[in-house]
Amino acid sequence: MKINLVFIFCLFLTFCPLDAQIINEIPLSDRVTGYRIDVKLDTDSKTVKGSMEAFWVNKSSDTVPDIQMHLYMNAFRSNRTTYFREMGGSPGNNDSDLGWIEIRSLMDENGVDLLPSMEYISPDDGNREDKTVARILLPIPALPGDTVSVRIDFETKLPSRIRRTGYTGDFYFVAQWFPKFGVYEPAGMRYSARGGWNCHQFHANSEFYSNHSVYDLTLNLPVEYFTGSGGKLISEKTDGEMKTLVYRAEDIVDFAWTAWPGYSVFTDRWKNVDITLLIPGSRVKQVERQFAAVKYALQYLDQNVGPYPWPHLTFVDPPLIGAGAGGMEYTTLFTTGSSLFMPEWRHYAEMITVHEFGHAYFMGILASNEFEEPWLDEGVNSYWEERIMDNYYGSNSGLINHRLLKVSDKSSARRGYSSSPVRQTVSNNEYSWNYPHGTYYMMSYQKTAVWLHTLAGIIGEETMDNVFREYYRKWAFKHPSGKDFINVVNEVVQKEHGARFGPDMNWFFDQTLYGTGICDYKVIGFSNRKYRKPEGKTDTADAIANEWPDTDSLYTSVAMIERAGDVILPVDVLIHFTNGDEILEKWDGKARYKDYTYTGYREIDWVKIDPEFRITMDVNFNNNSFTEEPQRAVLHRLVNRLLTFIQFYLSIILL
Amino acid sequence: MKIFSSLKSGFYRAWRSRKGILIVWLVFFLLVLVFIYPLRASLKTAFSSSMITERLAGGLDIEVFSDLGPTLKTILSSVTGGFIMVYLVGFLLNAFLTAGLFGSVRKETGKFSAREFFNAASKSFWPFLAISLVITLTLNFVLGVVLGIPVGVVSSSETMPETTRFAVMISAGAVALLLIPVVLLAADYSRAWKSTHENESFLKAIGFGFSRTFSKFWSSYIMMVLVILTQSALGILIMIILPAWKPVTGGGVFLLLIVSQLLFFARLLLKTWRYASVTSMMEETALTIPVNTYNINDEQGRSNQIPG
Repeated sequence: MKINLVFIFCLFLTFCPLDAQIINEIPLSDRVTGYRIDVKLDTDSKTVKGSMEAFWVNKSSDTVPDIQMHLYMNAFRSNRTTYFREMGGSPGNNDSDLGWIEIRSLMDENGVDLLPSMEYISPDDGNREDKTVARILLPIPALPGDTVSVRIDFETKLPSRIRRTGYTGDFYFVAQWFPKFGVYEPAGMRYSARGGWNCHQFHANSEFYSNHSVYDLTLNLPVEYFTGSGGKLISEKTDGEMKTLVYRAEDIVDFAWTAWPGYSVFTDRWKNVDITLLIPGSRVKQVERQFAAVKYALQYLDQNVGPYPWPHLTFVDPPLIGAGAGGMEYTTLFTTGSSLFMPEWRHYAEMITVHEFGHAYFMGILASNEFEEPWLDEGVNSYWEERIMDNYYGSNSGLINHRLLKVSDKSSARRGYSSSPVRQTVSNNEYSWNYPHGTYYMMSYQKTAVWLHTLAGIIGEETMDNVFREYYRKWAFKHPSGKDFINVVNEVVQKEHGARFGPDMNWFFDQTLYGTGICDYKVIGFSNRKYRKPEGKTDTADAIANEWPDTDSLYTSVAMIERAGDVILPVDVLIHFTNGDEILEKWDGKARYKDYTYTGYREIDWVKIDPEFRITMDVNFNNNSFTEEPQRAVLHRLVNRLLTFIQFYLSIILL
Repeated sequence: MKIFSSLKSGFYRAWRSRKGILIVWLVFFLLVLVFIYPLRASLKTAFSSSMITERLAGGLDIEVFSDLGPTLKTILSSVTGGFIMVYLVGFLLNAFLTAGLFGSVRKETGKFSAREFFNAASKSFWPFLAISLVITLTLNFVLGVVLGIPVGVVSSSETMPETTRFAVMISAGAVALLLIPVVLLAADYSRAWKSTHENESFLKAIGFGFSRTFSKFWSSYIMMVLVILTQSALGILIMIILPAWKPVTGGGVFLLLIVSQLLFFARLLLKTWRYASVTSMMEETALTIPVNTYNINDEQGRSNQIPG
């Protein structure tokens, strides 16, 4: 009993600072969970060993009998885990290759040993070889308002082949490394019909859904290592060959850190945000470009979505040996992926930086469930990444800006979707591991971005920005679902456009997010016929002749339009006449075909559907226009260039 | 000085053979045209009456082509197959035409004669083909070893620092670049020798080619590097001029075609300059050897111990 009282007192002291404000003046989130972790990096055994004190507050009105925690490093325990079953490959055969997490002891706030009541569960696929989720039965169920506190001693062995997390040589990227609470969802939250834990296994394509938490990390490691983390460095103490760092992070959904003696550390500032970049010393030339990219992203999202609320941000450009850690997101820490030589015209490294930073908003602040609605995380983030890239690096050159070739980020995503042979295999709204035939990336990232651009094309970019501002205002530091996002869209569109698009925008989401159809509008052609006067015996007067006195040069012109796909979207049709006149028709796009007929002293010259390419969902822009005199010169130019290229190439390779 | 006199003589001889170069240009123009014309027709059909080609006015727009869908795949597969055919036919034609060119850049050859050009081409076609084949395979093997092994080592190493990887790759690339002139010299000496030794086997010619390359290494090598640098300068010039010029009218496109072909002719002239310079170097170095050990007319039937 005495021990228990001492332990309770210690816990009280321990968690007191977790409620304190160190980084932000007021809490950004509800802070349902919190962690105090004290560990040592053992560079010989490649382990992180130590203890953790953590709490979860039952903010629901349910009595909860258990807690569930992610033990994600167990995904690297064998090739039988769900992660390796999904992605193939192997963690390696040697013990040094494997990754795992062992719970050495587990006690509640009363000092009761909870280890016997811990079991591994596999809520997603029933795979008994997967030990990435643990369920711990509480001795006393948690009543509404109760705080469940646990003390865990754990040891995490890092895997040698870095896939998001692990080590290579003396490079460490340590993510998904400590026992982390799942999210308790009471009835009515997101899609929950009744209260329960939402705690998914570690999957090949998803790993994020957590509460906004407070983290205090005390990290002990050799002095020669440079480190970075999602937290703010509070103190650093050197003791011989070891040093102890204390980090504090508030209101983020995950905590990762990195250590490597080869890092060079650079700092910059945007408004009140201190930005730190850890990059291999050999890549110093990339520093300026990387800072520019991250500041573009900060500026753009701050302006169009909402403020970046933390005063710190760290990003890491892993060395080539740790490239497997590149392109990942942990809210206030993210990883990019440049290389020693990056030509100025190639913006892929900047694209990764912008994308991974964007996750601070889409999944970090707006903490959606990546497992269940990957589109709301990766897709929405890709949409913003494309906007940022094309806005700052050129509307047609966001990715590549070479005099021989220009590629925009937006068109790159559209190309991925529109040219995919499996674009209709599955809807856009699946759990991350349910996408068949390798469709996950195309559907979650590209298709979502494409229909978000289409939505912006329909409702206007200004309204789209207001949608996201409202989404941020309503759902920042909460767990929005897809339907919450759609509700925001409906509200904002209704507010700004009234009933112009119908009572709501569900018709759009039913087709794009939940549907598998394709959008393809095409111009069949047009005809210009000279007006024929009535011949023979007619009963009525020639009304046309009355209206148009000179019927000899009068034409009846017809533009023929078709909806070749299943998706119905409103489109603009631009008809151009030989005398220079233009008529812009607004078509609801519903009918299978549509004829626009005109009478006048002019002929149709050409017809274009969606002349400004707003409907990016349209899988074929080539059939969106029709003319009898197409521009052939540029095609000939291209072919001539090819001719010259082949001539030169042959003359070079033939001796 | 041999280097510059060879280069000067080579240029004169190449210019003297300009009609032969014109023949080479015409043959390759027609060959590539046979491949390009159906492609142009396919693209016209694919884009039909669409106005999307307007988006190509500013340069290449990948989206325009990706929207062709299955048609693009058909076009690409025919382009791939067509290019392989063009390469194979080009390989044969190159052996034939190069034999003609080497024949016309020899010292004793006077004014260019088409009859002599084709006569030399037909006589030396098979040995030139064999030499081209052997040297091309040698070049590919050498580049495969020089580039492939370091790349393999670098790729398989998980812990090699980035700068070391880069240094290895750059070193491999540099070695490959340094080796290319050597192989080209061997090829050119082989063919130059073969064009004056019609009855000798192509293997002897290759043997001579490598032997002469290494026996007169520095003068030959420096000369070849100078020729390659000049060719590269033209290449860079072309890379700057042609892509920047984006005509959108039929007349402009035709003018671009004319200029492109003139530049290609210049490229062929420089290539012939290479052949002629090597031939000149071979002849010049041969003539400096005392008459009692060397006579170009007595040379037939000798192996490569005696310089040709």
